[in-house]
Amino acid sequence: MVFSYNWLQSFFQKRLPKPEKMAEILTMHFAEVEECYPVKYSRGEFKRVQKFSIGRGNDFILDIDIRPNRAGDCFSHIGIAREISAITGLKLKKQDIKIKEDKNLKTKDFVSVEVRDKKACPRYTARVITDVKVGPSPKWLKERLEICGLRSINNIVDITNYVMLEMGQPLHAFDSEKIENSVKKNKKIIVRFAKKGEKIITLDGEKYDLYNDVLVIADEKKPLAIAGIKGGKSAEIDLKTKTIIIESANFNPKVIRFGSKMIDLKTDASVRFEHGIDPNLTEYAINRAVYLVQKIAGGKITKGLTDVYPKKNLAKKIKLDLNYIKNLLGLKIPNTEIVNILKRLDFKAKTGSTKIDVVVPTFRIDVSLPEDLIEEIGRIYGYEKIPFVFPVAALTPPQKNLDIFWEELTKDFLKELGFTEVYNYSFISQKDAENFNYNNKELIEIENPISSDFQYLRPTLIINLLKNIDKNYKNFKEIKIFELGKVFNKTFKEKKMLSGAITGNDFYFAKGIIDSLFQKIGIANVWYDEYHPTPEMSKNSMWHPKKCAEIKLNSEEIGFLGEISQQIKIPRTIVFDIDFEKLSKLASEEQEYKPLSRYPAAIRDIAILVPFNVKVEEVLNVIYNVGGPLIRDVDLFDIYQGEELPEGKKNLAFHIIYQAEDRTLSSEEIDNLQGKIIRSLEENLEWQVRK
Amino acid sequence: MAKIKTQIKKTRFRKREKSKIFFNGRLKNKIQGEIEKAKDLKELNEIFDKYLGKRGQISQILKSLKNLPKEKKARIGKETNELKKLLQGKIEQKKSDFALQIKKDKEEWFDITVPGKKPNLGHLNPLTYVKRKVEEIFQSMGFSVIEGPEIENEWYNFDALNIPKEHPARDMWDTLWLKDEKEKLLLRTHTSPVQVRYMEKNNPPLRIVAPGNVYRHEATDPSHEFQLLQLEGLMIGENVSVANFKAIIQEFLIRFFNKDVKIRLRPDFFPFTEPSFDVSMSCFICEGKGCQVCKSTGWLEVAGAGMVHPNVLKNSGILPKKYNSSGWQGWAFGFGLDRLAMMKYKINDIRLFRSGDLRFLIQF
Repeated sequence: MVFSYNWLQSFFQKRLPKPEKMAEILTMHFAEVEECYPVKYSRGEFKRVQKFSIGRGNDFILDIDIRPNRAGDCFSHIGIAREISAITGLKLKKQDIKIKEDKNLKTKDFVSVEVRDKKACPRYTARVITDVKVGPSPKWLKERLEICGLRSINNIVDITNYVMLEMGQPLHAFDSEKIENSVKKNKKIIVRFAKKGEKIITLDGEKYDLYNDVLVIADEKKPLAIAGIKGGKSAEIDLKTKTIIIESANFNPKVIRFGSKMIDLKTDASVRFEHGIDPNLTEYAINRAVYLVQKIAGGKITKGLTDVYPKKNLAKKIKLDLNYIKNLLGLKIPNTEIVNILKRLDFKAKTGSTKIDVVVPTFRIDVSLPEDLIEEIGRIYGYEKIPFVFPVAALTPPQKNLDIFWEELTKDFLKELGFTEVYNYSFISQKDAENFNYNNKELIEIENPISSDFQYLRPTLIINLLKNIDKNYKNFKEIKIFELGKVFNKTFKEKKMLSGAITGNDFYFAKGIIDSLFQKIGIANVWYDEYHPTPEMSKNSMWHPKKCAEIKLNSEEIGFLGEISQQIKIPRTIVFDIDFEKLSKLASEEQEYKPLSRYPAAIRDIAILVPFNVKVEEVLNVIYNVGGPLIRDVDLFDIYQGEELPEGKKNLAFHIIYQAEDRTLSSEEIDNLQGKIIRSLEENLEWQVRK
Repeated sequence: MAKIKTQIKKTRFRKREKSKIFFNGRLKNKIQGEIEKAKDLKELNEIFDKYLGKRGQISQILKSLKNLPKEKKARIGKETNELKKLLQGKIEQKKSDFALQIKKDKEEWFDITVPGKKPNLGHLNPLTYVKRKVEEIFQSMGFSVIEGPEIENEWYNFDALNIPKEHPARDMWDTLWLKDEKEKLLLRTHTSPVQVRYMEKNNPPLRIVAPGNVYRHEATDPSHEFQLLQLEGLMIGENVSVANFKAIIQEFLIRFFNKDVKIRLRPDFFPFTEPSFDVSMSCFICEGKGCQVCKSTGWLEVAGAGMVHPNVLKNSGILPKKYNSSGWQGWAFGFGLDRLAMMKYKINDIRLFRSGDLRFLIQF
């Protein structure tokens, strides 16, 4: 919100610090001054200039980021002036609003107010001025509005806006003649919620449909204004207006916020009301307004204030523990200083030996707790005065977060294997969902997505990884990437997955990576099961029909490994997808050293011709079963399928490593065992060991 | 020039040839010496030409034999021919030595200036490195690392944090809402819900940091992102104060940037802390003098913080300090790891972290 330096100066007798200095002071003790720059009035508007020059129409703008808690009292020049006074100690000038009422005209003869919902409108004050002369505003008034970005309309409307900028209370002026009523002369103003189907044309000529939850100011027949948001055309002030009714009311912040959202209209008034304003302010503001009207537009102020204020807003009292101030800030501030600060902020403060009794001014709607007061004291005194003190705490070591431990270990492991870690957004598009055959009912949809690219929460990490492959393939041919992050759907809500994508290598390469990973994090007995999708599922599956497998531990599936189907237009890619939450639960740091045998190992090779559809595992099972504990390892070193071989056959070649833990195996013993293995393999008539 | 020199040499030789012609022994040693010293094939060929070539010294001797008496002619002729053969042999030997040497040189020749072969290394996202570093520093100061869900309800994301419904303060967080859920759900807009979840289950004193993804409904540009990695910190105890916060956060920043940075607190507003601060640190690039990075202010905003609001403690089942009674108090802070990473690595576009662009990622 922008503020005029000259206007702020007008509240003080003494000179304020220079604008840049003021900006710094406010930033350090109140709220951030985002910008401070000189402006010059020329040809009807204020323009930003490079350098300030002395003279009329020259000013500085302070653009202050007022936080929502201080909107109630600081969306106004007087609010900022009060802050400056509290920080610098400069005294504010006394403002005297002495209005001259006409004894012969009584307000109650001109206007009556009916508030139908006291919660929606805690206070409604009105005053009447007769015989005003509507016309252009004086130059000083125009300038003050324009520097704050408001357009000058006429003297009456400008005064209501001026008082809003000065005091923070939005006002509204009605042309009394235009209010329709049954009783002559006395106009009735009704504060009520809109009726179904009601419409209003606002001052700027826009038409709005009103809803039941929108509060309006109405006469007996129609809405005159959208309460707290914008005035209507029907009772607009024009050059012929003679008698005006000024409204200074207080509205429920929630009602205004809701109404403003409903009709999608935000105004200077609605922003102030929705943050909440002190109801006691209406009276000061209306008096200030009529004072200015009389001074500028003439007219007679009728006697008396129409005021519907059933429940008065009383000052809050807070007991402030002196010890708590010291404890919370970590700094002892002298009691006299504390009291001084509070007084400069318009609080009443009385010190006892251990506490201060504080009375909060009603305009400080944000202050209700001792902590709120401590903030006031701390920031005015200066946070820079608080020392740096390390806390005294028990020497308890932090808990080890095992999830994070395994996460980091896994990331490092994959990095060692040449993988690069990507972070993708947690979203996919509708098109992604369709392309990868995801059921919309399972997906979690965003009600207000950033764009259609981010419509659903990702149900898998794979989709975005494949997009990474596609995007990077023009620069890199061999890609190995992974991501460890959350996936989402309606069943499990969210869970952590580990997925990787590989190009330029085959299925077995990826399988080897996974085996090594499981070994690294101490999970044994992982096996691969064939994937049998239902025909429906396989039709649009992203997986290659054969080159994929479920990764299992005992009977539980903990992941999936496979080649991406050629239907998906992407370079040949192998993907692994592992439930990381299961993984990190099963992971173990325990690792036991297996003694090295002191006896030599012997290697024998076996080549076997088998039908093409025999799995390596079937052959391995036979070898291990027969060989027993004397086989330390079997290593498949070749799979061959070629023209020289009989039709439908393939050749598998193994190194078998024999070793005993307690003796040197004789070559006789080994030959016997090898022979036994060969005989067992050949029990299957279609299998033929090549000699 | 070279030609003239040879000419001169030849003339000199002719003058002396008669007196030296019979000293084959000396000549032999001389030529042998020259052959030994020959450094390459070219020099060897020169030696050959000089002595054994058509116009070479030995050929000259042989030519001049016809003028000698018969007996002398036979003796000198024989000696000279033997010498010729010997020298030819020597030169051949030397030649093949050279050939061998060349072959050997060729085989052994090695260029150390060829660029090294780079191993195929993997890379982690810079945010991972930053997150690790931050966690490590806080863990060393006794903070546990805690995680929480990314899908939250309104209670944990707003109400429990003293951000009431229909209050304009909620506008400080532009929220992404989930559709069609039984309960109104959202993507957490900050990591602060983890504070409440943790305090519900754990008794003070406590010290935690909570890293994780947060989401905002926000347009993106080089310095704005709708998905961010944030870190929340919380310390609760009997007398945990603003002074303690200043010390811990400054210590953290000094260790993270490995520079002697200073911090300052300015008043700010968050519904879940009272008092609330904006935390800035002195610009680690210009050391507070003012530069482009800090927009000439000498300061960089790094975090939001404050003393935990008593309502938040209450909502989390923890007794706040009350007048004349004991209770708990403490502070919380939150900052963006993306921003920290941008500062640390001088990255100028926040969107790069989640671009999946390997040209970016392989630099880390």
